[in-house]
Amino acid sequence: MPFTAKPIIGGDAFEQACSIGLAADTELAQIADATEQAACLRRHWDAIAELGWITTAIPEEAGGAGGELSDLAALVGGAGRGGLPLPIVAACGVLPHLLAGHPAVVAPLAEGRFRIALIPTEAARDDEADALRFADGRLTGAVVGIETPPDPTHAVVVVEDALLLVAVDTPGVAITRYQRIDGRPSADWRFTGIGADTLARGEAVARRAAEARDLGALLTCVECVSAAGALLEQTIDYLLNRVQFGVPLATHQALRHRVAEMYVEYENLRGLVSHALRTTAAGGPEAWRDIAFAKLRLGEAGRFIAQSTIQCHGGMGMTEGLQAIRLARRIMMAEFEYGDRSVQAQRLLVAAA
Amino acid sequence: MTAAIDYDAFREEVRDFAMMRCPPEIRAVVATYRKLSRKVWYPWQKILFEHGWGAPGWPKEHGGTGWNLKQRHIFDEVMAECDCPPQYHHGLRHLGPVIIEFGSDEQKQRFLPGILSGQDWWCQGYSEPGAGSDLASLRTAARREGDEYVVEGQKTWTSHAQESDWMYTLVRTSKEAKKQQGISLLLIKLDSPGISIRPIRTIDGWHHVNEVFLDNVRVPVANRVGEEGQGWTYGKFLLERERLGGANVAPMLKNLERTRALLAQELAAPRHALKRSTLEERLLMAEAELRGAQALGQEAIAATMEGRSLGLLPSVLKLSTSVTSQHVAEIALDAVGERLAPRFRPTDAAGANAEAPGIEWVQNYMYGRVRTIYGGSSEVQKNVIAKQLFGI
Ligand SMILES: Cc1cc2nc3c(=O)[nH]c(=O)nc-3n(C[C@H](O)[C@H](O)[C@H](O)COP(=O)(O)OP(=O)(O)OC[C@H]3O[C@@H](n4cnc5c(N)ncnc54)[C@H](O)[C@@H]3O)c2cc1C
Repeated sequence: MPFTAKPIIGGDAFEQACSIGLAADTELAQIADATEQAACLRRHWDAIAELGWITTAIPEEAGGAGGELSDLAALVGGAGRGGLPLPIVAACGVLPHLLAGHPAVVAPLAEGRFRIALIPTEAARDDEADALRFADGRLTGAVVGIETPPDPTHAVVVVEDALLLVAVDTPGVAITRYQRIDGRPSADWRFTGIGADTLARGEAVARRAAEARDLGALLTCVECVSAAGALLEQTIDYLLNRVQFGVPLATHQALRHRVAEMYVEYENLRGLVSHALRTTAAGGPEAWRDIAFAKLRLGEAGRFIAQSTIQCHGGMGMTEGLQAIRLARRIMMAEFEYGDRSVQAQRLLVAAA
Repeated sequence: MTAAIDYDAFREEVRDFAMMRCPPEIRAVVATYRKLSRKVWYPWQKILFEHGWGAPGWPKEHGGTGWNLKQRHIFDEVMAECDCPPQYHHGLRHLGPVIIEFGSDEQKQRFLPGILSGQDWWCQGYSEPGAGSDLASLRTAARREGDEYVVEGQKTWTSHAQESDWMYTLVRTSKEAKKQQGISLLLIKLDSPGISIRPIRTIDGWHHVNEVFLDNVRVPVANRVGEEGQGWTYGKFLLERERLGGANVAPMLKNLERTRALLAQELAAPRHALKRSTLEERLLMAEAELRGAQALGQEAIAATMEGRSLGLLPSVLKLSTSVTSQHVAEIALDAVGERLAPRFRPTDAAGANAEAPGIEWVQNYMYGRVRTIYGGSSEVQKNVIAKQLFGI
């Protein structure tokens, strides 16, 4: 029996998220028109909100399901394996954490009425001159490539020591939409002296934002381990079935060894991410370090697995038509979410010095 | 299992012992990366033995500690953290368990005490010039004459043969259709007439391995472990134990810390700024991998304690830790290479250069290349993994 990957956290939530993810990914892959694609994503987003996914980690007293980190990990892992092209980590994990104590925003987020994009302090920009500034209650500046739910209604912005809520239809807000390399929606945002709702100010904002970011990094790792497991399975399957020179490709040692190397990287990453999940759930003060190491490893291992998948598929590896290849692109994109390798390396080096 | 074990208290007990009882000159050998030899290992083994900790992995009835796997792992970890030498493995970790499992009562009485106390030093005679990865094609032959075997052939790569008393040896006792059959495990005294040992010059400049020639060496039949012709099974049993060694990542993490300190010291000058930060980053990548392996090692220990199968974990651990520790050694080489690689060996003396302090970093880099070759080479491990993953 060929290899089958075991989820880090399995169960019903994992299975459900996986099959919804697969359905969305498959449907989307068959649509060429951008407007229809957007409509397809929006439908799936509404369905997910309807199912209560976003309430997973919101405390019961705030109207949520009061789940734990492991519940989030099951959900995100399932979505990762299925290839759900929607910002689940942000919506279900990072935003609820960041917005804890703001029921007026959390409730509509959970219900799916607010579709919120998160703009963190460290968001990318095209030009230093565009850096976000918040003075006298007015927000100015521009950020690029922000992951977003379909048809965002709001942005939550962390700027300096402030946590802001901005409605998309506020005069002075301009957005340009894109698709990322993993097919997910994203947007550039420009703010020209707009009025914004200040949700919170002070040191606590930065602390909370840093925690939320680590949670995002950790869940992204969980998602990608899950996707990587699927990549391995699908690559093995492809090599067992593709015949060249009269024999299945799986008989060639060069390819077998490449797959063995993928597996070693996968296992190593899985071990590290599972460990980080445990230490984070236990709330240890050093958990951030485990997350940073995990994200660092994801950069290395994830890319190796993604690139090897493409290579082992030959020309098919260059097409968008295979789920394995779409998942590979997802893993490649993950490098740039919640701190890439150099960001993680830098904070670890600073702490070690 | 009766009362629950307080692992934290156990860890403290081991640490106190290590810090108080392991002589500073022995710890210094480990801390400065010098070559371990019987001269260093033996006094430490004696101290452990006298404390009742001679054989952490053996059952109590044979003089072991009776510790569970987790305790043994903690012991190994603390030893590494405190710069104590890892115990010499050939007797304790390899042959001892085979004798305990398959040996006769007479053999247990004769051989186990010497291993435990460190009085007897063992080496492993498996590989031959024609039998490496394909070990089963070994040809050193033993023919029966009365109550003796007469052994004829050659072993190679025999680590520590130059300082050993005994060699546990795989020999061919009959020619069968299947080459794994007809192999037996003999315990051969190295001062037996007919044995000659020649050093092999290796790239690290240390004397580690040897060729062992066996010319009509007479070995009592009583020195055969287990059944005639079943040696392959015992050899495999032993190699399996060798493979779980990858679960102990602590010594590698300790080396990594030493290497980090080396970078800070060696590359402190501003002109080295880029080099230092590049190497520090590479080291961090290696650390992430080692931490991943450490987490897998803990999974392996938990699985073993719960009686679950380890599956591919030993191969995964061997593959990844061997390569990562090579990376660490390479980073150290890159830090000191310009200064020390040119002074590897003095021309007027044998061995490595005692006049160049720190030359061990270079030697260790060279020696470390073996990690992906012995104990089941990387390629062989990948074959094992692929076979399982593809199901063919
Ligand atoms: C420093 C050192 C210490 C050692 N200590 C001992 C000891 O104490 N006792 C002992 O018995 N032995 C010892 N060995 C021997 C060691 O176990 C062997 O070197 C090892 O088994 C590899 O065998 P080989 O050297 O013959 O290489 P080979 O088997 O000839 O391999 C050469 C290359 O081919 C690759 N290869 C082999 N088969 C395959 C395959 N099927 N598919 C793909 N690639 C393949 C290998 O990975 C390797 O890269 C030691 C070796 C060294 C270098």
